[in-house]
Amino acid sequence: MDSISEKHIENGKTQFLMVLILGIITIFLSLFAMGQGSSSNLDMMATLKIILGLDSATELQSDIIWKLRFPRILMAIIGGAALAVAGALMQGCLGNPLVSPLTLGVASGAALGAAFAIVLGVSVLPYSHLAIVANAFLFSLIVVAIIIQLGNLRSISAESYILVGIAITFISGAIVSTMQYFATDAQLSQLAHWSFGSLSRPDLIQVQLISIAVLGLMPTAMKWSWDLNALSVGGDEFAISTGVNPAETRRNILILSALMTSIVIAFTGLIGFVGLAAPHMSRLIIGNDYRKLIPCSAIFGAFLMVFADTLGRTLFAPIVIPVGIMLSIIGGPFFMYLLLSNRGFRR
Amino acid sequence: MTKILEVRDLNFSWGDNHVLKNLNLDVQKNELVSIIGINGAGKSTLLKCLNRILKPDLGKIRMWDKDLSNFDPLNLSKLISYVPQSIRSNFSMDVFDVVLLGRRPHINWRIAEDDREKVSQTLRYLELEDFAFRKFDRLSGGERQQVIIAKAISQDPDLFLFDEPTSDLDLRNQIEIMKKIRKLVENDSSKSALIAIHDINIAARFSDRILLLHEGEILASGAPNEVLTVENIAQVFGVTCDVQLWNGEYIRVIVEDEIKQTK
Repeated sequence: MDSISEKHIENGKTQFLMVLILGIITIFLSLFAMGQGSSSNLDMMATLKIILGLDSATELQSDIIWKLRFPRILMAIIGGAALAVAGALMQGCLGNPLVSPLTLGVASGAALGAAFAIVLGVSVLPYSHLAIVANAFLFSLIVVAIIIQLGNLRSISAESYILVGIAITFISGAIVSTMQYFATDAQLSQLAHWSFGSLSRPDLIQVQLISIAVLGLMPTAMKWSWDLNALSVGGDEFAISTGVNPAETRRNILILSALMTSIVIAFTGLIGFVGLAAPHMSRLIIGNDYRKLIPCSAIFGAFLMVFADTLGRTLFAPIVIPVGIMLSIIGGPFFMYLLLSNRGFRR
Repeated sequence: MTKILEVRDLNFSWGDNHVLKNLNLDVQKNELVSIIGINGAGKSTLLKCLNRILKPDLGKIRMWDKDLSNFDPLNLSKLISYVPQSIRSNFSMDVFDVVLLGRRPHINWRIAEDDREKVSQTLRYLELEDFAFRKFDRLSGGERQQVIIAKAISQDPDLFLFDEPTSDLDLRNQIEIMKKIRKLVENDSSKSALIAIHDINIAARFSDRILLLHEGEILASGAPNEVLTVENIAQVFGVTCDVQLWNGEYIRVIVEDEIKQTK
């Protein structure tokens, strides 16, 4: 075999190893996080035993793990992975590193839906916690429908998608602000709380449903790896000459990533930063090859989310800082440091 | 001779601007054909129509006697590879992985050993082995141009469409890349190349045939010495020149100082 081919295989193995290590760290971090909390601290072994059903833990401990912490951590893992993958997909198919899952307006649609439920009490379901979720999801689906309609237009460019997304964000923002203007203090605080993003809302069954949906969509994302490589590195004409239909591929990828974003954000509220940062951090480790970037972003997203949530729960316990805030405050400067200190991102 | 590409009555307009008018052309097997013409003559437009990046208004394009209008990008990319002048890139990727994209039409998802070998061989063929694991977006313009040519070669198509393949290259690399394209077309059983190019002397030296594109039509087609006449060049480019036979091998066009007024 040619020595260049050998080097390529060698590099691939190193990258795989790094992703594996990141995965293992994430698993340990998650176990550790499940043991931490204001009511009962457990070490990792004890937590693992409870999860595997090996230990005769007290009923209280078992309840705390199964009803409170396990759904929360699982939500962090699945939500972080889904948002990071959605971000990576959107950045790639739009050829733009500034894009995050919030760019296309899906999240602002969700915020509008939540505001309708909270402030006006208008919802597809009777008023409850689930009414907000249902509204947020429905409104973000409306945005997905707009994206599908855009994709059916002939020759719509990547930039047009972004600009329409920004317009949708402005429009929903204006309507939400108007509602806030007339809202009561209680409603305002509820709306603000929703927009911070939190992982504590869904119960175990909901988290399981979200997990199934997200894990079901992931293989489809992987299928488009080569198309994303061609699109992200060379643009439309280069992609066509590589055998990709850019318009169709872009539309399908955007629908998939918007769906993944909607599913998560309807339950957690606005969490955007992980979808921007995790793909870029992954690129620093393994480059822009989507066959590796998608799994790596998923793991990195999960890691960031669990890390930020655990910090938010324990730093000022018993006060819990919402994960969306924690991610931006801790992740933002870290992200800037990585970008500025890495030669690859400097021109 | 076997015909590889047949274009009949090709028309393309950008709005009111009728760029290609009833254009006809053939490319034979193992033939290197250059297209020359002024800026905006429609050279790139023609290549993009052939690769279906642009949809022609009218006309038939047949390759190996098959109508290309029914081909989707994937099947087309197995037959034809279009090489743009340059590509913009916001994301960083190893040169090897960019060239590996040429194998994408031939693989399902997994890379086979043969695909890696093809990429390695192509990189060596173009003397790019030292660049294999450098970042594509950190290379100079000329280096990047060679890499996207390598990508097209690793794609192993029957017909190459090169849009100004020498525009960013230095003097030595211009000759080298043309020699290598020439060798590829001559040696391989079923390859041909159609090259849009501004450098008349490079075209004259390496082409089997030159097409002179003027106002959306092919004004002249034939061997370099038939097409590159003082009269044709004066008519198309509006410059006076001298055409010489160099070493008895190929012709050279030398532009004289005085520029003739066009129209």
